[in-house]
Amino acid sequence: MATFTERMGPVLLLWLAVCLSGSWAVDKGNFKTCDQSAFCKRQRAMKPGESPYRALLETMELTNTRLTLQLINDNNKVRLLLELYRLQGNITRVKINELKPLKPRYEVPDVLIREPPTEPLSLLSQDENGVVLSLGAESQRVIVSARPFRLDIVEGRDVLMSLNSRGLLSFEHLRMRKDTQADPEAENKEGTDPANPAETVKEEEEKVEDGMWEETFKSHTDSKPSGPSAISLDFSLPGVEHVYGIPEHADTLKLKTTDSGDPYRLYNLDVFQYELYNPMALYGAVPVMLAHNTQRTMGIFWLNAAETWVDISSNTAGKTVFGKMLDYVQGSSETPQTDVRWISESGIIDVFLMLGPTPRDVFSQYASLTGTQAFPPLASLGYHQCRWNYNDQEDVRSVDAGFDEHDIPYDFIWLDIEHTDGKRYFTWDPHKFASPKEMLQGLLDKKRKMVAIVDPHIKVDTNYKIHNEIRSRGFYVKNKDGGDYEGWCWPGNAGYPDFTRPDMRAWWASQFGYDQYEGAMENLYTWNDMNEPSVFNGPEVTMHKDAMHESWEHREVHNLYGLYVHRATAEGLTERSGGVERPFVLTRAFFAGSQRYGAVWTGDNAAEWDHLKISIPMCLSLGLVGISFCGADVGGFFKSPSTELLVRWYQTGAYQPFFRAHAHLDTPRREPWLFGPENTALMREAIRQRYTFLPYWYQLFYLAYHTGEPVMRPLWVEYPQDPATFALDDEYLLGRDLLVHPVTEEGARGVTAYLPGKHEVWFDIHTFQKHNGGQNLYIPVTMSSIPVFQRGGSIIPRKLRVRRSSTCMEHDPYTLYVALDNQRTAEGELYIDDGHTFNYEKKELIHRKFSFANGVLSSVDLEPNAQFTTKSWVERIIILGASKPSMVTLKTADGENQLEFDFDASMSVLTIRKPGMNVGADWTVTLQ
Amino acid sequence: MRFHIIIAAFLWAAFVESRKIRGISSSYKRFYRERKSFLCIDGSKMIPFEQVNDDYCDCADGSDEPGTSACPRGRFYCTNLGFRPHYIPSSRVNDGICDCCDASDEYNSHARCQNTCWNLGQKERAYVEGQMKTLDEGLRLKQQLIEEGVLLWREKQAQLRELQRAAEDLQIKLEEHRKRKHEADRLKEQTLKALKAGDKGFRHQNSTVSHLFQLLDSNKDGSISLDEVKAKVVLVHDETRVLSKDEALTLLGGGHQMDLSKFQNTLWDVLIRGDGYKIKDAHSAPGGLMSEDPHLKAADRAAEWEATNLKKVEEAYETVNMEISDLQKKLEIDYGTDWEYLFLNGQCYKLKVYEYMYTLCPFNMVSQKSTAGTEVSLGLWGMWAGPAKNHYSQMVYENGEPCWQGGSRTTSVTMTCGTETALRSVKEPSKCQYIMDFETPVACQPVLKQRGVHSEL
Repeated sequence: MATFTERMGPVLLLWLAVCLSGSWAVDKGNFKTCDQSAFCKRQRAMKPGESPYRALLETMELTNTRLTLQLINDNNKVRLLLELYRLQGNITRVKINELKPLKPRYEVPDVLIREPPTEPLSLLSQDENGVVLSLGAESQRVIVSARPFRLDIVEGRDVLMSLNSRGLLSFEHLRMRKDTQADPEAENKEGTDPANPAETVKEEEEKVEDGMWEETFKSHTDSKPSGPSAISLDFSLPGVEHVYGIPEHADTLKLKTTDSGDPYRLYNLDVFQYELYNPMALYGAVPVMLAHNTQRTMGIFWLNAAETWVDISSNTAGKTVFGKMLDYVQGSSETPQTDVRWISESGIIDVFLMLGPTPRDVFSQYASLTGTQAFPPLASLGYHQCRWNYNDQEDVRSVDAGFDEHDIPYDFIWLDIEHTDGKRYFTWDPHKFASPKEMLQGLLDKKRKMVAIVDPHIKVDTNYKIHNEIRSRGFYVKNKDGGDYEGWCWPGNAGYPDFTRPDMRAWWASQFGYDQYEGAMENLYTWNDMNEPSVFNGPEVTMHKDAMHESWEHREVHNLYGLYVHRATAEGLTERSGGVERPFVLTRAFFAGSQRYGAVWTGDNAAEWDHLKISIPMCLSLGLVGISFCGADVGGFFKSPSTELLVRWYQTGAYQPFFRAHAHLDTPRREPWLFGPENTALMREAIRQRYTFLPYWYQLFYLAYHTGEPVMRPLWVEYPQDPATFALDDEYLLGRDLLVHPVTEEGARGVTAYLPGKHEVWFDIHTFQKHNGGQNLYIPVTMSSIPVFQRGGSIIPRKLRVRRSSTCMEHDPYTLYVALDNQRTAEGELYIDDGHTFNYEKKELIHRKFSFANGVLSSVDLEPNAQFTTKSWVERIIILGASKPSMVTLKTADGENQLEFDFDASMSVLTIRKPGMNVGADWTVTLQ
Repeated sequence: MRFHIIIAAFLWAAFVESRKIRGISSSYKRFYRERKSFLCIDGSKMIPFEQVNDDYCDCADGSDEPGTSACPRGRFYCTNLGFRPHYIPSSRVNDGICDCCDASDEYNSHARCQNTCWNLGQKERAYVEGQMKTLDEGLRLKQQLIEEGVLLWREKQAQLRELQRAAEDLQIKLEEHRKRKHEADRLKEQTLKALKAGDKGFRHQNSTVSHLFQLLDSNKDGSISLDEVKAKVVLVHDETRVLSKDEALTLLGGGHQMDLSKFQNTLWDVLIRGDGYKIKDAHSAPGGLMSEDPHLKAADRAAEWEATNLKKVEEAYETVNMEISDLQKKLEIDYGTDWEYLFLNGQCYKLKVYEYMYTLCPFNMVSQKSTAGTEVSLGLWGMWAGPAKNHYSQMVYENGEPCWQGGSRTTSVTMTCGTETALRSVKEPSKCQYIMDFETPVACQPVLKQRGVHSEL
């Protein structure tokens, strides 16, 4: 109610001073370029050439589970240990560490769901130049070349991937600081091979460069007590022109080459008003890259949580289409190749080569390492209404009533930081939210839910229970001098709990218990923001790298911090119900494995058309690396959207996994009924479409939870041999069966959608108009258009009785949309459970398969051992692309009866009226 | 036996009836008379009558399913005996949430709905009664305020006329005084000119060259020395300060002393002009030593007198004009058809919300003061902004203190009917946009009363 600055006090002023500078775009000067990050500059200065590393084949040991081998750097004689594993499911793991590091180097814990099970490697051949190992399936082999060291993964005659083929393997060994060195001989001995004294002679003196032992950026000095420790490795991908992944970047789906600028950066940062189409780091980091061509899909998972940069180059990138044509015609020249180089500040090289060969294989390979998407409560797939901030209980009540008044469904209303007592999380403002349980009960009475924010920065205030407990238990992150690390954030001076500690996480989780979190009820869920962590007065608005997490520097764990916060919170929500109820937690920062804990959003975007557009590739990139539950703030966080943009954003968001409107404190209200009845109707319709598809969304999430397949996926995932799909990121698929091309242009009169599949057909879900696949289709649009197509050959169950919230629709009947392909067949699935508990793990679920062939639609049980009953029945079957039957017969366990139907000859749509059988039963419907 | 059959038939009929008519208002019953078939109300389709309320949507307009949730565009009629009947969207039928107070919408759900219509009706009636009382009282007060408003308006108009008359008088006076001052100034100027021109008739002995020379020549040695200048000559504007050596030297024309003839050509002129230097303790006013001339003195005094008089009249005129323009500005404001809102001008109303004290001074400004003490303007009087049919139901105050990201604070004040005049609530739904509820009898509308009487109770 006061001015923004008054409310935020000095924190904000400071932050503004740092970040704002009065302009709308990101202040790039606040964030490092590769040149400003000493290790990146150092590593990038190293050009491709002959690697100084040599494999010492005589040190090779091959056991049933792994191969080990020493590498030596001929320049400094430092030895490395290479470990090679063949993992179940066609994955090869390559680990490289110092043979005898001065002290242990950090190996990322808690990301892999288990120690990956191995499969035996067998030696195929060996000579003085190297060894050849069999990777089992499909004549796959690993060739270890000794001089210089390189690894090639080969299938038949094809090289799939080469490591260190450009000689960029680099491993800055830990060393004593020269000026404080007690024993100058120690280091030399370390790298010396006693068996070969000749090698000790030519010890190259380590060049001491700037930034090795101390680095300053914008008045922040990183003390770097361990000195230089960077690692780097290159990967060559012959035959590959398309690489994807390594989120989070506000960039296109297909990654660009980085020769002319900075590499893609992975370092979780709170970037104020981020800029689009560049490789700058954002809130989260998943060091996973996918490589794809018409033959094969592969993945590289670089398991390292330190600051990381990824360079991409390509031998075809610079070529024009004509140039490529010429190459093709002349049958000439090199095959296309993409070269990738990973650089991390510290830790070890631990990389998983996921060898596909199909996109689905890569998803399941990655899922076998880091787990799958948490199966969300059904309600969280509905619509979420958020704003910074709903001011008080009365405000919440009136917004809630507004949805009913305008007959718009929603499931969650959200409270941002202002709901707390002075930004003390787990508390409520004593005046504005004096009786939270009353408020939550009011929502519960309408079967709706609430999310309240809990950020990881804790106000330093001796009258604040949470702070006192964390301090007294010694759970705060420490500064380099051993005291509690403190930084500025929303509450002013704040401490940062050390979420890397299991005991800290267990304590944090306990704070969500109903006996601890005052005012909480079972319909209150949580949102973790600022968990990069954001430190307003820290270097690059984050934590100092020399802060300490027990014995490890923050440098080592930085990209992991947000995952741990998310995890501890999700565990808290699970535990408060005794492990019965599924949690729902939204996070801004993330890492590989974050998919196991809930949803992610793309952070503080802006109300601009380009931000609407970028939401597609940003969520597609996340989906490719396991994080399916992704969304962007509908309407845009900063600034105020035009009505047209807002409507288009609702229409887009309704077809993206996490569907939440959000707005900055300083923007005018934008609840969907504030823009005149026409626009209210447009937004209502978009949200209602979302609710009709909830059964499909739920089934896709069940699939994602089971297999790791993304819910929202690029077209190439389903059409891997169609190069026309490889760079598409203005349209996408939901599962296999829905193709969405949102309208993201201002004043658009039409969009051109590529409908894939030469022998496929696609049905407009609104008009049932049939279109052939394998073409670019121009679709005229009006403000009410949301171009969405159902694939011929699919069956999608929907619920058309859209109610106040998803929970209100629980027992509603289904309408089956059967879209026939050219062979007049179709298939689909339906998944049902109670929608909110973990009882599906005990097989309390229904999983049906519907198939249509030879004029018979049948439902069979995919989980015969499962136990669940539903009241829901089938109220309608709509068959698209049908011909007129003379008779329609339903057969169930109870007998046979004829069904009424209606046939629309102009669109070839057959509507079967009220078959009425329970959706969980076995049945057939026969058309004659 | 026969009796039983009758009862059974009656029950069956009641059952059929209850199924068929569920969710329909009595005025719609004519569409749902039991026949073989049912025509969708929009006329789009004919269906067998069994398909009415059979939980499947046949009609595009939803008219075949008034009592179920089957149609997306359907609506369900809550009869709500004892309270107000109303429609709910079909999607609220059997959704587990009690919407109709007679519980009729949840006939097939787990929700255990109580019939609360009687209670609600009672509450509503009590509320309406209260509202009616308030309205009656409000309208009575409003009548008073209108009467007062009219009186106040007249009073203000009279005041304005009076002021305008005063202004006219003052204008005449002003002209007169200007003339007189002009005349006095002219006379003074003439006198001065004559004196300067050396007209002996006007010149006093004391002002002769030799007299002044002697006055300065303290030691009577026939020449004026540096010390003598310093002792006797001072600045007109700062009599207390002794001249510096340099200043004295300048007056002496650069030398250390001067005789009578040199004096006549230099220092005497300076002293006679009287605008820079003068002889210490000599009575002076504009005119230097010449002011000691009695004619000049008289003319000077007369001019000064007229100037003072003129200034007084000018000030009075200005004050009156300011009052007029203030009053005119006040009276230009739209105070309602009967000037009923006029009494609010000049008043201020306060309300504390959480840590802030809000002040609304109608037709003037809105402000917010935090407990820390800083006061922020939330807007200055802008205009009435109610809808056409109720123009005086909302006020807008604009151009308050600027906001962090552009724009300035604005406040919109909704006027509601009540027996008291007070600020009832303040909200800030979006940053820098404030909404106030202001209660006052003058907002009471007779129309409202009629609506109350004809409420559907």
